[in-house]
Amino acid sequence: MKIMQAIIFVIAAICAHSVTAELQCKLPAVEIPKRWITMAEPCTLKMRAQVQEELNAALTYMAMGAHFSRDTVNRPGFAKMFFESASEEREHAIKIISYLLMRGELTSDISTLIRNPEPLHERWDTGFEALTDALNLESNVTSKIRDIITVCENPSKEEDAFNDYHLVDYLSGDFLEEQYKGQKDLAHKLSILGKMLDNYGALGEFLFDKKLLYGELF
Amino acid sequence: MKFLVVLFGLLAVSSAEFCYNDVVRSCKQKAAVLLEDCHAKYGAIDAVLLNLQSYVNDHISLSFDYLLTSTHFGNHEKSREGFEKLFRKLSDSTWNDAIDLIQYITKRGGVMDFQARKTKAEPRNVYELYEIEALARGLDTQKTLAKSALAIHSEATRRCEGCHDPEVSSYLEEKFMHRQAEEVRKLAGYTSDLKRLLSENNQASLSLFLFDEYLQKAV
Repeated sequence: MKIMQAIIFVIAAICAHSVTAELQCKLPAVEIPKRWITMAEPCTLKMRAQVQEELNAALTYMAMGAHFSRDTVNRPGFAKMFFESASEEREHAIKIISYLLMRGELTSDISTLIRNPEPLHERWDTGFEALTDALNLESNVTSKIRDIITVCENPSKEEDAFNDYHLVDYLSGDFLEEQYKGQKDLAHKLSILGKMLDNYGALGEFLFDKKLLYGELF
Repeated sequence: MKFLVVLFGLLAVSSAEFCYNDVVRSCKQKAAVLLEDCHAKYGAIDAVLLNLQSYVNDHISLSFDYLLTSTHFGNHEKSREGFEKLFRKLSDSTWNDAIDLIQYITKRGGVMDFQARKTKAEPRNVYELYEIEALARGLDTQKTLAKSALAIHSEATRRCEGCHDPEVSSYLEEKFMHRQAEEVRKLAGYTSDLKRLLSENNQASLSLFLFDEYLQKAV
């Protein structure tokens, strides 16, 4: 009888242990030096804000793509261009995130990095209007990047604040290069479209759209 | 009698030509050329439009969600490149799906509304998750997307008058449902694997490292 009780007790103990065993999800934090994390805070905040800017631009382009895909608007060339621009802006945001990760940032407050990006508009009257908006959008993004450069060159008057050469170099070389090229491209397209519309109105926009669709505009 | 049958037949045919009638009217009269019936809408697109728009917005929000989770695993404290890649891939695929859905909505004659939401999105505050927590969230969110596709599919059946639209159903089946089933199965498999690895005593650190290494190749 006592042996039976002992056996039952042992079995119950084993079952209880396996049922209440918990997953070891959390690993202890590792202490590593922090001196290599040198981005100044005003600079970091500006870079984080730029992620949101790029994603707002991405969604605005997506809205443009959606508008020109409509049956009653029917401009597949514009739609194709704008959907591609949307994905490109998202890639820019991801490049900024990668840079911040490389510099040791983004270990906290990740939830505030992207806050419900929204398109600036969802309807446009003409292709010309949309291209104008796109060019203005790009100019805004460019001036924001130049703001970041200004802040990161002279973050503050504190002792250890320094001119972040590498970041400034990266932004100028990679980002600004692409921005300037993109702006020239949009201005080029706007001029061509504007001149076509002057004499030929609806036909001008129709032909321009097909040139965009088949990649015949450089 | 035959005359009446023919007359009604002609009337039925002519009343089906809405766009044509609009055009004929516009060609005859000097009035604003609206051609209101010359659109691409037919079938049950109006019945499922809000659902589809909301589905696009869900995809866009989740795309950003996954991007943030990927960012978290990419920082130097977590250093989980496999998980980073996994969530980055989920982010890319939800973004591309959103664009695809927008193109589908406009193909069927609808419009996209970036504010359309069937259920209010719950704001998330915490992206700093452990590996198995992140996998669990990934699995839950992918299942939610899959279930939403099933719900839209069920709206386009003959359950209600004018709701039958197999083109919508077929699109959802081909482009979403099969792929979603595979993705859900993959994530459930990973979660089961990780559950077993983390149940063993004192093996978590090495298990997580090796599992992450496996993910780098598998993703």
